[in-house]
Amino acid sequence: MFPIDIRPDKLALEMQEYSQKLAQGMQNLMDAGDIDAGVTPKDAVYQEDKLTLYRYQRTGATVQRPVPLLVVYALVNRPYMTDIQEDRSTIRGLLATGQDVYLIDWGYPDQADRSLTLDDYINGYIDRCVDHIRDAHGLDRINLLGICQGGTFSLLYTALHPQKVQNLVTMVTPVDFKTPDNLLSAWVQDIDVDLMIDTMGNVPGELLNWTFLSLKPFSLTGQKYVNMVDLLDDADKVKNFLRMEQWIFDSPDQAGETFRQFIKDFYQKNGLLKGGVQIGGRPIDLKQITCPLLNIYAQQDHLVPPDASRALDGLTGTDDYTELAFPGGHIGIYVSGKAQKEVTPAIGEWLNQRSG
Amino acid sequence: MTDNGLFNNDWMELQRRYWEGWTDLSRKAMGLEKPKTNPWEAAMEHWWQAFKPAAPDPSKVFMDRMLEQGKVFFGLVEQMTRGLGATGAATDPTAGWDVLNKTLTGMQDAFTGAMGRGMTGADDDNATQRLLGFWELPLDNWQRMMSTLAPTPGDWLRNMPHGPVQDSLHRVLSAPGLGYSREEQGQYQELIRSGLDYQRALTEYASFFSQLGVKSVQRMRELLTERGDTERPIESARALYDAWIGCCEDVYAEEVSTRDYARIHGRLVNAQMALKQRLSIMVDETLGAWNMPTRAEVRTLQDRLQETRRENKRLRHDMDDIKRRVAAIATTSGPAKSPVARKKTVVRKKTVAKPDTP
Repeated sequence: MFPIDIRPDKLALEMQEYSQKLAQGMQNLMDAGDIDAGVTPKDAVYQEDKLTLYRYQRTGATVQRPVPLLVVYALVNRPYMTDIQEDRSTIRGLLATGQDVYLIDWGYPDQADRSLTLDDYINGYIDRCVDHIRDAHGLDRINLLGICQGGTFSLLYTALHPQKVQNLVTMVTPVDFKTPDNLLSAWVQDIDVDLMIDTMGNVPGELLNWTFLSLKPFSLTGQKYVNMVDLLDDADKVKNFLRMEQWIFDSPDQAGETFRQFIKDFYQKNGLLKGGVQIGGRPIDLKQITCPLLNIYAQQDHLVPPDASRALDGLTGTDDYTELAFPGGHIGIYVSGKAQKEVTPAIGEWLNQRSG
Repeated sequence: MTDNGLFNNDWMELQRRYWEGWTDLSRKAMGLEKPKTNPWEAAMEHWWQAFKPAAPDPSKVFMDRMLEQGKVFFGLVEQMTRGLGATGAATDPTAGWDVLNKTLTGMQDAFTGAMGRGMTGADDDNATQRLLGFWELPLDNWQRMMSTLAPTPGDWLRNMPHGPVQDSLHRVLSAPGLGYSREEQGQYQELIRSGLDYQRALTEYASFFSQLGVKSVQRMRELLTERGDTERPIESARALYDAWIGCCEDVYAEEVSTRDYARIHGRLVNAQMALKQRLSIMVDETLGAWNMPTRAEVRTLQDRLQETRRENKRLRHDMDDIKRRVAAIATTSGPAKSPVARKKTVVRKKTVAKPDTP
């Protein structure tokens, strides 16, 4: 049988419909208005340099749990991904389970932040945010939820300050940075990171954008825009698409010294598995993590492959380790409808069982 | 549809009549000699040029990008289905395969030919140009990104002469500088060498991708064969486009996971950084000569300042901790007792009257 069965009149109709959708959709595009970055009301409770610590306002009449939860996002990309729209908000999902949610917004580093190291981020910024929350609530320990690179930071922090963390959740967090299916890791092995940082200072967000788009260039810079035409007639879908588009290209610059150490110690030397990582002169020993640990990973994650996260099993000193697999991708675990139904309720339930 | 501004009911009616007119034209054109430009591409371009002036500026860039991808979509479908209608492929698969194989071979030849002359050429028709240009996406993305980071256009080195010309340049550059400006000469030589290294790395990167175009066509051929064998034909333009994208992504994913690509990618990034570093050094030299702050000086100050701030914050944290502990001790030990009155000891100093001076 011949593999292409497209009649000329059907082809002409398809082309015409495509062009008409594009033309008619222009109105929705131009009516989209300003794209908001985060939908849940929040208050800035602490600020330091470019960092802002937010506390999200309670929703509804949910009984608030006594132990607050601090969300530590990655330095790469912006944290409003977790709160991108009303019906796709991980933050709202957590609030609905009774969590008192705080989130660190790292801001937009500039060249004045070039000298910030991992020590400054982990033993400095994160520790001071944790102390602020502990003081505000009169508690010795709080719950921590780390996302992607923020999860790695949360592991490092908990290993260095185990007395301050009650429960730890890691989401799509790389632990083994050299799994065979990790493209980012493969690409970075031959890069002279010292030359890069000595030359540029900070790593521009545009370079990171290019790297992420290069993972699937034809889909992400081509096919996506052809597919978009199909939803141009729905104003809500257009707005949601534009929100994602804004987030994808909203990449902050990376503080140079932090990037240097992160790439060298983790991506190139795989330090969490091989050992040898030091933060502020203190060696990292994941066995110091003895609090309950929930490790969530996405089964179709092309940025942090599942095995990269699952490597955490057995590395810590906890006897309460739980894994949760989500059938989706690195972004879908936050924005998909399925994630809202499965992931955030599971996190809430897990935390509530261990937070009193 | 509201009746406000440009996009009112009259505008939509105009749109509808415009597309109906093009549909009539294309029906009449079917079966006749194909124009060099895909009529759908031309129609879309014509429409956009007519309405672009009225669109707000922020939308123009976005629509340009969407239209560009739309043209790739149209161009690919036109390329793949070229001549199939006349053969009656549905009833005569052999004739259909003859045409399709010619098309696919032509695409592979276009990629192979493009490798020699630098991807898209003026001789290619629009559809072929878009197809070849499609595989330039990764390189295009790199150059757009580098343009945002460099004062010079991102692609200015791409068309620099290479091969024997580069070899001659390298020989000239290896000559040592002489005299008082020896150091300056050396810096310029290093700068040019870095530029040549980057250009070589960029050419290697572009060549890598042009080879993948050939492989992707072969993958498409295999997919179409499999679809024919399993009697699951592709029945829409979008499905054809998606199949092509899938083939491109599959081939791309296989090739960029190899050590060879990691080395090519690393060389490209490192060569660009080395070139930027050379430029930075020379800019710093010039600034220093003008008695202005240099990047190196600013960085040294930044490092020292950050170290000082780090220490300050650590000390403040320790002080706060000490204050808390003192407060805790004061609280647990109860109110302070009154100090016991101490008997004051008075020391009398013996004085001796000075004798009267005469």
